Amino acid sequence: MRTNSRKTFLSREQRLGLWFISPWLIGFVLLTLYPILATLYLSFTDYRVLSPPRWVGWANYRELLLDTENFWPSLGNTVFFFLELPLALILGLALALLLNQKLRGMTIYRTLFYLPSIVPVVANAMLWLWLLNPEHGLVNTGLRAVHIPAPAWLASPLWAKPALIVMDLWAVGGSMVIYLAALQGVPTSLYEAADLDGANAFQKLVSVTLPAISPVIFFNLIMGVIGTFQYFTQTFVMTKGGPDKATLFYALYLYQNAFQYFRMGAACAMAWLLFLVTLAATFLVFKTSAGWVYYEGER
Amino acid sequence: MRWSSIVGKVQVALCVTLCGFMWGCASAPEKSADTVVRIRCWTMWSGGEEKAFQAVLDRYNETHPGVRFENLGSVNDEKTVRALVAGAPPDVFTVSDPSYLGALAANDAILPLDDLFGKSHLKTDDFTRASLSQARYNGKLYAMPYLVDCIGLLWNKKVFREAGLDPERPPQTIEELEEFCRKITRHGSDGRLTRIGLRPPDGVNLLALYGGGFFEPATGRITANNPRNIEAATAFKALMDAQGGYEAVQGFAAGFANEQGGYNSFYVGQAGMAFTGQWNTYWIAKYKPDTEYGVAPLPYPAAHPERKGTLWLGGNFFCIPKESRHPKEAWDFLVWTQSLEAQRLLADSLHGVPNIRAALKLRSLREGEPWRVSFGKFMDLSDSSNATHFPPMPVAALYLSEINSAIEAVGYGRKTPEKSLSDTQERVQREMDRYR
Repeated sequence: MRTNSRKTFLSREQRLGLWFISPWLIGFVLLTLYPILATLYLSFTDYRVLSPPRWVGWANYRELLLDTENFWPSLGNTVFFFLELPLALILGLALALLLNQKLRGMTIYRTLFYLPSIVPVVANAMLWLWLLNPEHGLVNTGLRAVHIPAPAWLASPLWAKPALIVMDLWAVGGSMVIYLAALQGVPTSLYEAADLDGANAFQKLVSVTLPAISPVIFFNLIMGVIGTFQYFTQTFVMTKGGPDKATLFYALYLYQNAFQYFRMGAACAMAWLLFLVTLAATFLVFKTSAGWVYYEGER
Repeated sequence: MRWSSIVGKVQVALCVTLCGFMWGCASAPEKSADTVVRIRCWTMWSGGEEKAFQAVLDRYNETHPGVRFENLGSVNDEKTVRALVAGAPPDVFTVSDPSYLGALAANDAILPLDDLFGKSHLKTDDFTRASLSQARYNGKLYAMPYLVDCIGLLWNKKVFREAGLDPERPPQTIEELEEFCRKITRHGSDGRLTRIGLRPPDGVNLLALYGGGFFEPATGRITANNPRNIEAATAFKALMDAQGGYEAVQGFAAGFANEQGGYNSFYVGQAGMAFTGQWNTYWIAKYKPDTEYGVAPLPYPAAHPERKGTLWLGGNFFCIPKESRHPKEAWDFLVWTQSLEAQRLLADSLHGVPNIRAALKLRSLREGEPWRVSFGKFMDLSDSSNATHFPPMPVAALYLSEINSAIEAVGYGRKTPEKSLSDTQERVQREMDRYR
């Protein structure tokens, strides 16, 4: 091509650059952008996958919002799961604080607490199926040994969600390590200044440590919000939404519509509703963050 | 100008890549030089079962020069659906979950087989009744069965003796089943279950016992909440309550080992009875041969004696995609699978029940090793006039899932049977109406 002799809209370097990133660009447009936009269109159609989509307007959305048997319970279960968020935050942070002490053999403790989070989610789920087994599981064997009534965990509509929360908290090491990294980045000069002011350990935690690592707490919070809305793998592997729909989470119900019930149109509508809700929740967290997240560069 | 040139280049590059890709895909299964027609066959079987089916295919390839069936095993229905949608289906495939059949048929993705069936030597009377009715949707035949699974009642004679019951007499009615369950169920010193009467059955199986039906094909009406089904859901709750309540039973059942193996809860007597299939006869011989058991039809409600001899059927189905490139060759193979030789070959290795009446009489399948006697009982039951199955319909997957949820809600006491099944009725009917 001899186009570069003419006056061009893009410089030669820009065009070269585009050529170099074109594999990614093409991949993004074809495999990500196009499907995303297609789901928007499909969410307004009756699409059974095996036959072409048929335009139905808002019918999918209307039907979902009126569905008190599956849609709202699935959203309710998901919202219930937000209980895990503060627990994971506090536990992750508390562990990080403990593991930030200067003790002998600390690296071993750090490894031990981090270890569960490198277990693949599915392997983790299989493991906990055993631990939580109402008959032979370690958890109930332990509870019985100390004469505490042992619940049926994943076989009980009441206890299934708490069981999943406990299981997830076991793998809190991922966020713990991020907190730990942040804790080590807090300048010692701030602590020295606090010492000079006569601050005790708790005051140092509240007035120095937490503000200093607030961007990281913020990051973990946002990731937690998004992750909770997408909660899927564990319930797909362990409970398939049971018992009695107690673990029918939003993403699982979306999956069932899309890939089991031939209701792809409704599934696309669910995906967009999920996107909007996640967007709103994230936006809310961002809005409030101005009041409690401090960035060093700002001062 | 510049953009269009870039877009042009991108388009050219894409076309070249896609063409190359499609050529690569398409060229493989075409006729080769020696004019052997290669048929792409996708099946659900994996592991040992895949080998068993491969042996059947080998036999077919040997005896039918000119065609060569190439099997791809471990294919799930989702993969097949994607291939159908993409317009690149295999030439013939199995449906692993029968609930997909109705959806495939209703959306015109598979070939109706009535014409081919009519022109072949096959006759409807050759088939066990329910094996063929499972393959029909809207009056048309969409699949060929190749062996069926039969769910009947198995009872553990040792457990019966220990409960003071006659070990040679299984429960006849559901009322009797409940009574037996109560007698068999045992609790440990700490109040926990140590043995139950009946392993928790699928909700849909229990509904089948009452014969209320699920769907009226003529009117397109869902019949989830007809009075018989409500009776059945009520009986389910009573059955579970007779054994200590649904939650306790589910908790106990969560501790059961894998069904395939020597620790199967029924074989070891954790459950005295089970609604389960003919494969157990072979498994028991293989894994726990000292299990004393009997085979009976599923019990019937005392108030509806015409339901005597009920059996629940599932099956293996072969379908030919609308866009199959070799429908004739595929059909010839399906006709062959109905021959005595083919039925015996697969039944012998896969331990499914033949769907051809003449094959049910094959002595080699019911004589010889001792377990074959029990297997023969299943074969006898499979042609019962009360052998029943879930009707093929486009919303079957959703319907089955809703029925199981409804029965669970009743079991846990969250809903009454009326309310639970009426919710199912409304939900599934709404979905069914989209297909009218």
